[in-house]
Amino acid sequence: MNRVAMERKVLSENDQIAERLRGTLKDLRTLSLNFIGSPGAGKTALLERTLERLPADTRAAVLTGDIQTENDAIRLRRYGYPVRQITTSGACHLDARMVETHLGDWLESGLDLLLIENVGNLVCPTSYDLGEDAKVVVLSVAEGEDKPLKYPGIFRKAELMLMTKVDLLPYVPFQAELARENARKIRPEIEIIETSCTSGAGFDQWLAWLAARAERKRASVKASADAMLVT
Amino acid sequence: MHEMGIASSVLEAIDQELRRYPGHRATKVALRIGEFAGVDRESLEFCFEALVKNTELEPLDLEIEWCLAKDGRRGDELEFAYLELDEAKEAAA
Repeated sequence: MNRVAMERKVLSENDQIAERLRGTLKDLRTLSLNFIGSPGAGKTALLERTLERLPADTRAAVLTGDIQTENDAIRLRRYGYPVRQITTSGACHLDARMVETHLGDWLESGLDLLLIENVGNLVCPTSYDLGEDAKVVVLSVAEGEDKPLKYPGIFRKAELMLMTKVDLLPYVPFQAELARENARKIRPEIEIIETSCTSGAGFDQWLAWLAARAERKRASVKASADAMLVT
Repeated sequence: MHEMGIASSVLEAIDQELRRYPGHRATKVALRIGEFAGVDRESLEFCFEALVKNTELEPLDLEIEWCLAKDGRRGDELEFAYLELDEAKEAAA
């Protein structure tokens, strides 16, 4: 009997594709965000309002994942940006290959912002790197404020938590402060923005975050390009 | 729910690895999985067993080292630790 070391990750094939994607998106200075949340958390509505309010000159595109149907893509296409549906036919998450395949010719003309709506699921999408700059976890106030404790994986990896449907707070027992505390217990530096697609609350802050994050990416790409020139 | 996909990635990787060791078969694979990797251990074991059953890979053991996020570990590991190989039997060759 021989024991041989295997220095590799289980999902190394996915990770390789994700790294390739990340490199391409870096060259194009495209900010890519991976939205993860339970079914019904309001991911599609959030993206609809976001597209509605993006500065007009933003070159944005959306990939939206579901197990079946084109429904979300149909909703999202109304805002004039390119949208592609990824139907996973049973898989509970998107993987990097699906993203790479569905990007198609989008990158040829350049892209400022790539929004990826993952399949509604707080667990499985966490394991799959899609080459994104940041994961955004979407938690609605119609859920439990202990979700960050029950599903810590995604809250540990998310840079931002978007709390959605806050217009419902007067009608539901959800304690927003407790949810924020729970999220910070899992990841102290997580950023949190409270939004409502119905009232529009929080969207100024969310769009400002988006603009600042895109700027931060462009600056870091420029800095690393400058560093290359020096060496 | 994605444990079936993970189990099948494990088997594909073993298949690739075995090409480097002609005349051998795998008897055991060991994985390191972090508590925050988003993987359900029992579900993965079940899927692994189901995929191996009645194939030429059988018998193949799965060992999981469950990693907590402490002592500098991130707790999101999902990686191979090692593979145990045996000389393939004449009959199997």
